[in-house]
Amino acid sequence: MEFDFGPVITYFPTLLKGLGVGFLVALVVAFMSIVGGLLVAVISIYINKVVSWPLRFFIWLFMTTPLLLQLYFLYFGLGEWILIPAILVGILGLGFHYMAYNADIFIATIKSVSDGQYEASRSLGFGHGATIFYIIVPQAFIRAIPQLGNNMILMVKDTSVLSAIGVAELVYASQYAISVTFRPFEFFIVIATLYYLINIFMELGQAWLERQTAYRR
Amino acid sequence: MDFNLMVEVTPLLIKAAWVTIDISARGLLFGFFVACGLVFLQSFRFAPIRWFARGYISVVRGTPYFVQLLLVFYGGPSIGLKLDPFTCGVVVGAFNIGAYMSEAIRGSIESVDKGQAEAARSLGFGKVHTMVSVVLPQAAALMIRSVGVLAIVLVKNSSLVSIISVVELTYQAQRLIGSTYKPLEIFTLSALMYIVIVYAVMGIIELAYRRATRYTTQ
Amino acid sequence: MSTEHQTETPMVEIRNVHKRFGDLEVLKGINLTVNRGKIISIIGPSGSGKSTLLRSVNQLEVIDQGEILLDGIQVNRPDKKGLAFERHINHIRQNMGMVFQHFNLFPHLSTIDNVTLAPRKLKGMDKNVARELGMELLDRVGLAEKAEVFPNWLSGGQKQRVAIARALAMQPKVMLFDEATSALDPELVEEVNRVMRGLAEEHMTMLIVTHEMGFARDVSDWAMFMDGGVVVEEGTPDKLFSDPDQERTRNFLSKHLGDHH
Repeated sequence: MEFDFGPVITYFPTLLKGLGVGFLVALVVAFMSIVGGLLVAVISIYINKVVSWPLRFFIWLFMTTPLLLQLYFLYFGLGEWILIPAILVGILGLGFHYMAYNADIFIATIKSVSDGQYEASRSLGFGHGATIFYIIVPQAFIRAIPQLGNNMILMVKDTSVLSAIGVAELVYASQYAISVTFRPFEFFIVIATLYYLINIFMELGQAWLERQTAYRR
Repeated sequence: MDFNLMVEVTPLLIKAAWVTIDISARGLLFGFFVACGLVFLQSFRFAPIRWFARGYISVVRGTPYFVQLLLVFYGGPSIGLKLDPFTCGVVVGAFNIGAYMSEAIRGSIESVDKGQAEAARSLGFGKVHTMVSVVLPQAAALMIRSVGVLAIVLVKNSSLVSIISVVELTYQAQRLIGSTYKPLEIFTLSALMYIVIVYAVMGIIELAYRRATRYTTQ
Repeated sequence: MSTEHQTETPMVEIRNVHKRFGDLEVLKGINLTVNRGKIISIIGPSGSGKSTLLRSVNQLEVIDQGEILLDGIQVNRPDKKGLAFERHINHIRQNMGMVFQHFNLFPHLSTIDNVTLAPRKLKGMDKNVARELGMELLDRVGLAEKAEVFPNWLSGGQKQRVAIARALAMQPKVMLFDEATSALDPELVEEVNRVMRGLAEEHMTMLIVTHEMGFARDVSDWAMFMDGGVVVEEGTPDKLFSDPDQERTRNFLSKHLGDHH
C-alpha cells in the first residue's frame, strides 16, 4: 500500500468550501439551538401546562431518537409541502435536535437557580416576569455554559451527518473528489484531521469560557 | 394517518429493529473489551504506552463517529482492511464507544474513596487483590450508570451505519419513506421502535444499578 | 491477642524517620520504641506529623530516611523495589492492624464479611472457621447481632467498632489507631474507647494518635507530644499531661484539655 495525498491537495479548495458551509451551518445552529433551547425551557417551566406539555414531548422525542432519522423525516416531510434547499433542512434538523438537548440543560439549571433565588428576588420587589428575566435566566445561563459547550462540540461533529441529506459540507464536498480520484483513505484521514483540529480549538475555547465565567457560578 | 400502511410496514421495521439491537449489543460487548484494554494500557509504568492510549482516546473523541465509519469502510481496503458493512458497523462502533467507555470506567474507579484502598492495603492485600475485591465492586454501580448512558448513545449512533447500507432501522425507514411518501407514518413507527429499545436499555440499567447498590440504599 | 507479657522487648522501633511531601518536611527525625504490650499515645496539633508517622509505620506513607522495625523485622525496605517490595510489605501489614479516622469499612460487604475478608483471602482460612472467628470478634466489640448488616446501616461508633474487629481478625502484633474517634459525634466516642480499653487490658501493643487527652492519659503507658514534625516532649502520661517541661506542650494542653470532657 502506498499513500498519495496529491489528490487531496488538488481538491483542497473544494474541501475548504465544504468546511465553510459546515462552519456556517454550525454557527446558525449554535445560535438557534441555544436561544431556542432557552426559550423552550423558560416557557415549559413558567408558562401553563397546555403549552409546556407539547414542548416537553418535543424535547423527549428528539433526545430519544437518532439525529439521522429526524433529518430524514424533516427532509422528506418538508419536501412534500415545499421546495426547500437541503442546507435549510440540515439547519432545522440539527437545530431542533440540539435545541432539545440544550433545553434539557436549561431546565435543570433554571430549576437549580430558582430554589432560593426566586423568593429572594420577589422579596426585593421584583415581579414574576422581572425575576425570571433579570435574576433567574442570567444565572441559569452561566451555570449551563460547561454543558452547552459539550453539546456544541458534539454538534459540530454532527454536521458531518448532514452529508446524508445532501448538505454540501466537508464530507459531502469530498465525495465527488473521492469518486474521481479513488483515494478514500487519504481524503477521510484529512477530513478526520480537520475535525480533530477544530475539536481541539473548541475544547480550548470551552475551557477559556469556563474560566472566564467560573467566578460567577 | 394511513393505518393500513403502518400495519403493512411494521414487520419490515421490526426486522430492521432487530438488526439495530444486534449491531448495538455486539458493539457494546466488544466496546467494553476495548475500554478495559484502554484502561489497562493507561495503568502502565512505561509512559509511551500510556501516551498511546491517551492519544487514541483523544483522537476518537475528537473526530465524528460518522467520519470514522466512512474512513474504515471506504478507506479500509487501501490498507488491506476489507469489512462487510455489518462487521464494519460493529467494529467501528466498538472502537468508538470503547474510547468513551474507558473514560467512564476510569472515572468510576477514581470515584471510589481512597480510604477504601488504604484499608485493604493496611490489612495486607496486594494492589491487584485490592482492586478486584474492594475497589471494583464499589465502582461497579457508577460504572453501570455511565456505561448505560453510552449504550444508549451506541443505539442512536447505530443509525449511521445505514449510510454504508446495513439494513437497520433507519435504513429501512428511509427506504420506506422514499417508496411510500408517507414520512409521518414511517417516522412515527420507527421512532417508536427506537424509543422502545432505548427504554428497554434504561430499564436493564436501572435494574442492574439497583442490584449493585442494594447495600447503600436504606 | 498477642498475649505475651514480657514488656522490655521492643515491638515497634522507629529510628530517625524523615518524610518529605515535596519541599515540606513533615517528619524531621523521629525516634520511638514501643515495647511489647505497651500503649503509646501521640498527641499534637493538626499538621504536626503525628498521623503521617502512624501511616509510615505500615508504609501507607513511604519514608525518605530512617528505619522502622516491627518485631525485629525491617518494615521499610528502600533496597526492595516493585513487586519484591509489594510482597514484603503485604506480608508485614498482615501483622499490623490499622484503624482509620473515617472507618473505611467496605460498604459492599456485610459486617461479618468485612471482618472475615482478609483472613479468608490472605490466610486462606476456611469459610466456617473465619466466620466463627469473625463472630467472636464482633461479639467482643458488642456487635454480634449486626453480623449480616451492611455498614451503611450502622452508626459511626458501630462502624468504628467493626473496623477494630476487622483489624483484629488478622491477629496483629500491633494495633495502629489514626484518630479513631475524631470523626464521631461526642456521644459515640465512649463506646469506641471502651473497646480500646478492653484491648489494653489484654495487653495488645497499641500506637494511638488521638485528640482525646483524657483518654490518652488514662490508657497509655507513654505519651508523646509532636509539633512541626519533631517530638517536642515525651514521658509518662502523668508527667506529660500534668507537669510538662516544655512551653509548647503547656500551650497545646491548655488549649485542648477539657475539649471533649
